[in-house]
Amino acid sequence: MESIIEKNEEIIENHYILNVRVKGRIPKITPGQFFMVRIEDREVFLRRPFTVYDQRGDLLSIMYKVRGRGTMVLSRMKKGQKLSILGPLGRGFHIGKRDFYLVIAGGIGIAGVHLLMKRIGKKAKLFYGTSSSLGVSLVKDLMDYEPVISTMDGSYGYRGDVVSSLREKIDGFLGKDLEVFACGPKEMYRSLKELLSKYGFACQILWEERMGCGMGLCFGCVVKTNDESDPEKRVCFEGPAFSLWEISL
Amino acid sequence: MGNISVELFGKKLRNPVMNASGTLGYGKEIERLWKISLLGAFVTKGLSVRPHHGNPQPRIWDLGYGMLNSIGLQNIGIKRFMEEYSQFFRRRRTPIIVNIFGFTEEEYFECARVIGHTSVVLAIEVNLSCPNVKQGGISFGKDPEVVRRIIRGIKSETDIPVIAKLSQEVKDIVEVAQAAYEGGVDGLTLINTIPGVVNDGGKFIRGGISGPFLKSFALKAVYECAKRLPIPIIGAGGIMNANDALDFFLAGAKAVQIGTATFVDPNTIPKVIKELKRRYKEGRWKRDL
Ligand SMILES: Cc1cc2nc3c(=O)[nH]c(=O)nc-3n(C[C@H](O)[C@H](O)[C@H](O)COP(=O)(O)O)c2cc1C
Ligand code: FES
Repeated sequence: MESIIEKNEEIIENHYILNVRVKGRIPKITPGQFFMVRIEDREVFLRRPFTVYDQRGDLLSIMYKVRGRGTMVLSRMKKGQKLSILGPLGRGFHIGKRDFYLVIAGGIGIAGVHLLMKRIGKKAKLFYGTSSSLGVSLVKDLMDYEPVISTMDGSYGYRGDVVSSLREKIDGFLGKDLEVFACGPKEMYRSLKELLSKYGFACQILWEERMGCGMGLCFGCVVKTNDESDPEKRVCFEGPAFSLWEISL
Repeated sequence: MGNISVELFGKKLRNPVMNASGTLGYGKEIERLWKISLLGAFVTKGLSVRPHHGNPQPRIWDLGYGMLNSIGLQNIGIKRFMEEYSQFFRRRRTPIIVNIFGFTEEEYFECARVIGHTSVVLAIEVNLSCPNVKQGGISFGKDPEVVRRIIRGIKSETDIPVIAKLSQEVKDIVEVAQAAYEGGVDGLTLINTIPGVVNDGGKFIRGGISGPFLKSFALKAVYECAKRLPIPIIGAGGIMNANDALDFFLAGAKAVQIGTATFVDPNTIPKVIKELKRRYKEGRWKRDL
């Protein structure tokens, strides 16, 4: 699909929000789904996956951090330039009918739960962890939901990691029909698993792996699970949303 | 539109365009974009006698001029593939080419045995050249004597036509192709990925290079082998569009396979087929298909 860049703005150092207007119709996106974006550059051959940050009709947003050549070139693109995008792809969060949700995001992982919060925010508590107060700008849009914010250096909110802030507050949520949604680095999932194993909540996480095709064709993105008949799942096809309990961490 | 059907191993194919092994999943995944029945034939992912897990992450590197993969031949095994998917291809009236590999010569023969005889299978494509797995393909495809023996062994197990798939890394690809021919092979697929190494943050990882970088190597292999051997050749390696495909036909290929290009644009295969039909109809293709 063709799209035109409407805005490509740096929010904090190395972190951008890109808005594109898509030519043609896109279906309602499930939070956690992603697009494969073609970045035109001599050194970039394969498309890169980006989770949908926001959708308003044919206006699509992604939030990204500059991590390599692909995102670096993307960050230099300007309003009015064309971008070929492919999606929405993958299986996003399954949102059932729970009483309440806990949403956990670490760092740029906020990009993966932003759309989710916009859909279920009234019935959810967001826990967001970042390295310092600078990172708080990434959650600006969701301040109405009164997120619990933690910073590693203690310059804003709780001092420490996001799972520790959850550990302190979790007793206040017990007794409800709860589900946890999370997006963040692998270490965060590890400590989340350790914490939640005591409570046995359902928990869905977004997994990230390098991708070749984004459509289940290449088996480049597999993650090991505890499914005995098919242990290796494609993140782009069977995921990126998985149960925290099925992934081998 | 032009009629670009071809005859391969006594069967008529809608067109001479296939996917390359390992680049179109198990065949159903792409159907959200286009029907698998568009293909002349579907080539399976590399399949083995027993299911195989493949390599740890990461498995994909972008090289700019192509990519390097170390998937490690992950697959569900031939038996399960045939049980779960052959009906799908039958319904789609799409012949399949079953790509096989083994870690021992005996495993190759076993693969042929497990496939048995089924009308939906157009041919068996023998991966003699995959560089991903340590004890795998690489050593088999490098030695003409071993190639001759494996092909002969497979031929004695099955009536299904057998294709040898070779890599460019051997000293003389014509010599290896010749050996496969002496073993009784019915066709060739040229070429597989070329082995390479990437520096992944200080860790050196082996894999197979594919994409545009391969095209001239592949074209040479097709050109040289087509001159010397009287069996059909399927060209693969770096085909990104109809012009690339035509180069392979003009070099002597009977059909082509498109792999990595699908990752960049998943509609490459339908686009190439459409463009080939148009050119054929307009007579801008002076060649008997
Ligand atoms: C991700 C990936 C997986 C592959 N898996 C197989 C395989 O299982 N068996 C095989 O014979 N070739 C395999 N190949 C090689 C391709 O079938 C093809 O020969 C090669 O990539 C060159 O074509 P291309 O440049 O169009 O991709 C694989 C290639 C890629 C990129
Ligand atoms: S990226 Fe190719 S299968 Fe997931």
